[in-house]
Amino acid sequence: MAKPTVASDWLGGCAGCHMSFLDIDERIVDLVELVDLRATPITDLKEPDKAGVTVGILEGGITNTYNEEVAIRMRERCQILVALGDCAIFGGVPAMRNFFTLEEALTRAYVETPSTDASGKIPANPELAKMTLVRPVHEIVKVDVFVPGCPPDADIIFYVLAELAQGRIPKLENNNLMWN
Amino acid sequence: MAKITIDGKTIEVENGTTVLNAARQLEVDIPTLCDHPELTPYGGCRLCLVEVEGARTLQPSCTLPVSDGMVVKTETEKIREARKFVLSMIFSERNHFCPYCQVSGGDCELQNSAYAEGMTHWPIQPNWHPYSVDASHPFIILDHNRCILCRRCVRACGELVGNFTLGFEERGADSTLVADLGLPLGESSCIGCGTCVQVCPTGTLIDRWSAYQGKETDVETTKTICLGCSVGCGIDVLTRDNRLVRIEGDWTATINHGLLCDVGRFLPMVEERERILTPMVKTDGKLKAATWDDALKVAAEMISKHKGNLDGVTSTRVSVEAMAQLRNLCEAFDAKSLLTTEDCQAVSAIYHQASSDQSALEGKVEDLLDADCYLTFGEDITKDHQVLSFFAKRRIPEGAQVIQITDKVSGFDNFATITLKVKEKSLADFLIDLKDLISGKSGDMALIAEKYSLDKDELQSTLDALQSSEKSVILFGSRFDFSNSDAVVSATRSLSQAANAKLITTKGNINSVGAAALGYEGAGKVQADLLLMVLADEDLTQCIEQKFEKAPKRVVFSSYVSPLTAGADVVFPVENWLEQDGHIINFDGHILEQHAALESAPEVYSNSNAIEKLASILNVKNNTDWKKELDKFTSPVKIA
Repeated sequence: MAKPTVASDWLGGCAGCHMSFLDIDERIVDLVELVDLRATPITDLKEPDKAGVTVGILEGGITNTYNEEVAIRMRERCQILVALGDCAIFGGVPAMRNFFTLEEALTRAYVETPSTDASGKIPANPELAKMTLVRPVHEIVKVDVFVPGCPPDADIIFYVLAELAQGRIPKLENNNLMWN
Repeated sequence: MAKITIDGKTIEVENGTTVLNAARQLEVDIPTLCDHPELTPYGGCRLCLVEVEGARTLQPSCTLPVSDGMVVKTETEKIREARKFVLSMIFSERNHFCPYCQVSGGDCELQNSAYAEGMTHWPIQPNWHPYSVDASHPFIILDHNRCILCRRCVRACGELVGNFTLGFEERGADSTLVADLGLPLGESSCIGCGTCVQVCPTGTLIDRWSAYQGKETDVETTKTICLGCSVGCGIDVLTRDNRLVRIEGDWTATINHGLLCDVGRFLPMVEERERILTPMVKTDGKLKAATWDDALKVAAEMISKHKGNLDGVTSTRVSVEAMAQLRNLCEAFDAKSLLTTEDCQAVSAIYHQASSDQSALEGKVEDLLDADCYLTFGEDITKDHQVLSFFAKRRIPEGAQVIQITDKVSGFDNFATITLKVKEKSLADFLIDLKDLISGKSGDMALIAEKYSLDKDELQSTLDALQSSEKSVILFGSRFDFSNSDAVVSATRSLSQAANAKLITTKGNINSVGAAALGYEGAGKVQADLLLMVLADEDLTQCIEQKFEKAPKRVVFSSYVSPLTAGADVVFPVENWLEQDGHIINFDGHILEQHAALESAPEVYSNSNAIEKLASILNVKNNTDWKKELDKFTSPVKIA
């Protein structure tokens, strides 16, 4: 039987969940024996195989139209979709901007911060993705496994991946269930 | 009695017991949020839903009384689904974001409930509408985004504290916690007791000082007592890495049942005085650091030289052990007097009266819990012995009368059913006249009303209230310094007897009773040339400091720098209240144990050990058993 394939991508997050994934340290050697790690944002291959992967992992929330596209593409190309971390599941820190209008958030970021001034310009290139309300991934596509945490502990990530690699759906409970 | 079966286990309980409490007796775990053991059941959160055989819908177990033969299930698929749905609705009502919340990671009852149901995400989106955060209060932050509308705080504010500051406005999802009629918390009638913070299940009401300094799993908890006033409230002191994180009321404490005031809960967090960490000796007119041995030698010499010409002074925040040791040392050197740092003679006067009556007449704290008429004078108890005022205020909705006699502005002004504005200097006379009215000796109400410029009807109502009361309490303060203290105390005693009321006097500071029992008097005129002072960690008023500054020589034991240490000849560093063990006697005679929650710096000793060191260099043996000494004078209240 071929090894299950795994691809990951990140949306509106901080890459911290991927860093936490790398914190599984030498256990990554065990992991690659069990699974075929395909496209990730931290490897050469960036997009999940058109042929599809067994497990797709998404970090970060949906903050704009590009995130929506990436989420939909991942959903289409994977059998089991994992939402990794609080941003993917709850919106996380980026969702704090939901309490302001997009204009207020952009003005704050490009004009009002200590390192910008009134000459700061809010990017307006039509090719840029359109910002939206920050939402969890499951508001856009169906999610099969939720792994909360900010970031999820490396041990929890290893447990989830090890279970998936062995064809089981991980159940997060007790000490493995942490939202923060 | 009613028989109830929960998850196959059967128990017989009193009629009126709720299904939730019956389940608790059976050790069946039903999750709850709005329920709190100290508060009236409210049935607001619906997390405690159970299946009752024969009932059409799921029932909230916290408000459902048992009926005989009831069969209840708490762990069916239907219930688990309902719980998840209830939690989903609660999460969607406001904006609960765990990564940036003070209580996340163990201290949040909402998060813990979700974990217990294995919730990995929110099926329904949060509100996304920003709710306000009220940071106007010096101690408390109120974040409406995290409120689950459980009304624990409202119930605590009314039912436990009797302050009725918190309430709700609007309805349904628009329901909003408000202070008074919508004032910012810091401008409202809130007295900052923090009980709402202690009962809040989420991060809605958090305490500014301890926020983000450690979860309950990171801290160590020590049960001890608050030294803020004579009430002696039990507290849980939360510490982390030998640093004070937070103080909470001890729900198991017999005196305060978990309640605290701002003085007990929050003020210790803002201690800014400079700590004394080494002994100091005055050399060439200036205090210079010295070793314990050198400082002890200088102090011992001074004491020997001033035999018969020294006064012992103790703070009333000191344990009876240390007070007894100081007395022992002072007696060995023929001290002229034994004084406390208390600026009034109230406690001494109360003790003198008890000696002349030869009986312990006063009531206990329990008498305050179920009285129907409270008569208070002698101080503003809502300021100086706050927790006692909670016990009276919270009885008002049940029809209890609170009558205050004062000519000053008082915290009872918005609560008292009757306020009699009698001038302080005529208080003793008025109490005698009131006693005569009650006992029927003199009947001219109008004349007495006129004599004290009182409203005749109000005086009549006072009389009616006291006479018709089934259980009345006279709550007599001790922050007065009348020229006629003895007369006021004696009038109070006879009034309480005439009115058949329980008498409770607040008796000053935390260990004022201990000091009085060991023969210390309130700070009077300094007579001797040398003062041997155990100031401990007390923050004295300028007025009292000036009184003691008149003495030409001083040996001082103190935790903090103050004008009295600055001018002293020898200063010994001692531990503060959180660093030492000991016993104190509170206002109603309970002997309470104080436990160290923090470790002191090296070379800083407890009051008791520091006095011991001085005594041993002077060859004074400490052979007094303070427990035996307590019976030397007749106490106004039974000490046990």
